[in-house]
Amino acid sequence: MKKNMDRQQAYEAYLKETHRLGRAVSLLTLAMLLGAPFVIGSLLGAMPDLGAAARGFLSVGLVWTVSSVVEYLVYTPMLGAGGSYLAFITGNLINMKIPCAMNAREMVNAKTGTAENEVISTLSIATSSLVTILVLAVGVALITPLRPVLQSPVLQPAFANVVPALFGAMAYQYYRKDPALAAVPLAAMALLFMFVPSLTGSTSFMIIPSGALAIGLSYLKYRRARKEGQGQ
Amino acid sequence: MTVLDQLNGGQIYLVCGIIVAFIAAVCVVFLVRAWRAGKALGMDPVKMKRTVTASATFSLLPSVGILLGVLALSGSLGIPWPWLRLSVIGALHYETQVADAAAEQLGIRLGTDQMTTQAFATIALLMSVCIMWGMVLTTIFNRRYLRRLDGQSPASRPAGGGFGDRAMVAMFIGMVSAYLGSYLGGFASGEGLFSFRGDWVPLLVAAVAALAMAVFTWLAEKKHLDWLENFSIAGSMLLGMLAAVLTGL
Repeated sequence: MKKNMDRQQAYEAYLKETHRLGRAVSLLTLAMLLGAPFVIGSLLGAMPDLGAAARGFLSVGLVWTVSSVVEYLVYTPMLGAGGSYLAFITGNLINMKIPCAMNAREMVNAKTGTAENEVISTLSIATSSLVTILVLAVGVALITPLRPVLQSPVLQPAFANVVPALFGAMAYQYYRKDPALAAVPLAAMALLFMFVPSLTGSTSFMIIPSGALAIGLSYLKYRRARKEGQGQ
Repeated sequence: MTVLDQLNGGQIYLVCGIIVAFIAAVCVVFLVRAWRAGKALGMDPVKMKRTVTASATFSLLPSVGILLGVLALSGSLGIPWPWLRLSVIGALHYETQVADAAAEQLGIRLGTDQMTTQAFATIALLMSVCIMWGMVLTTIFNRRYLRRLDGQSPASRPAGGGFGDRAMVAMFIGMVSAYLGSYLGGFASGEGLFSFRGDWVPLLVAAVAALAMAVFTWLAEKKHLDWLENFSIAGSMLLGMLAAVLTGL
């Protein structure tokens, strides 16, 4: 009993410190990323055109702002405190960090909102970020000799299909959990993209209605199962 | 000296390198803290080790893909800036779209000799501004948002898992469906409505990766080869990507 209370207190202290540290490094990163264009501009002898940047923001920035809000609301609960600070600092969320953290969670069977999930997500995202940083640092250092290999026409189809490969593997992983549920958004999205093929340029935005449909259906199933459970 | 030579200058590498090094240090600090917290909570170190190994192997292939993104953008923005953006905050599809939109506002086209130092600084600023909102939101709301979700202390939560876990699985089913749907749509109507003459390679790659994942899962679950789980996603992706290479031969 006492051991459990000690653990809970230690965990609370860890979370508190994580939030403090997370906020501090996020603010520092923000300052550096916003300051870098001005520092580089001064080194190059030309400052950013703020009017053009504002117009650019109105054309594409608003869309990404909405997307960021949705990403924040959806991913934060599954990543926990440490994981979400790190994930939003290090980026590449949908294509790497989120599947990576989910994969780790699946492996150790951690549940959303638990202390175990908090630790596993942070370990997973920190490792993933370090691997990317390392691969890119080595790659950039070797960029001249590496360029012919990576850009060789034989390998191009492989790198052009990293995303389908990722989603194929993930499809098996998640569809097997609830094939009946999976059939509906898959059929709906397939039909939508068949009738409106121009939407393929906005696939990342179609995650929102597809996810909403799947979550809605899952909620209906959950409610029905609970009602049936209560009726028995 | 061309603008691209200037963008690949040592000083630009230094500015970007300092930021990348800072973020790497932050990751190490979070990693060590989480490891210690896990130990203090009595978590199995084998589980934590497996998490680190699996996450590292999982991230290798996508990281090589991201490196290709650096190469793709280096022709118009130099190497150091795409290296910074893709190492620590961005994503290729986002960076490319925003850089293109900024270039459009400046009346130039990426990948041409129209690039100027001011155009670069403007593009770099817009790239930073457009993707900062996740960080802004976590800084302002994370603590309150997570506390509200918890309702109670996370450590004292029962481990059963309510609708939250189902919602996450459903969200991923939705996400995967959007992408698979786009591949099906691209094949069926990409070259004319229901012509079935569109690009079939993404479908093949996804199918091969899914099949490989099924084999990996079967081996791990039925043959008790647990260690294979560490490589199942990366291995499946590699086999899927290999299928794409074979179609091009």
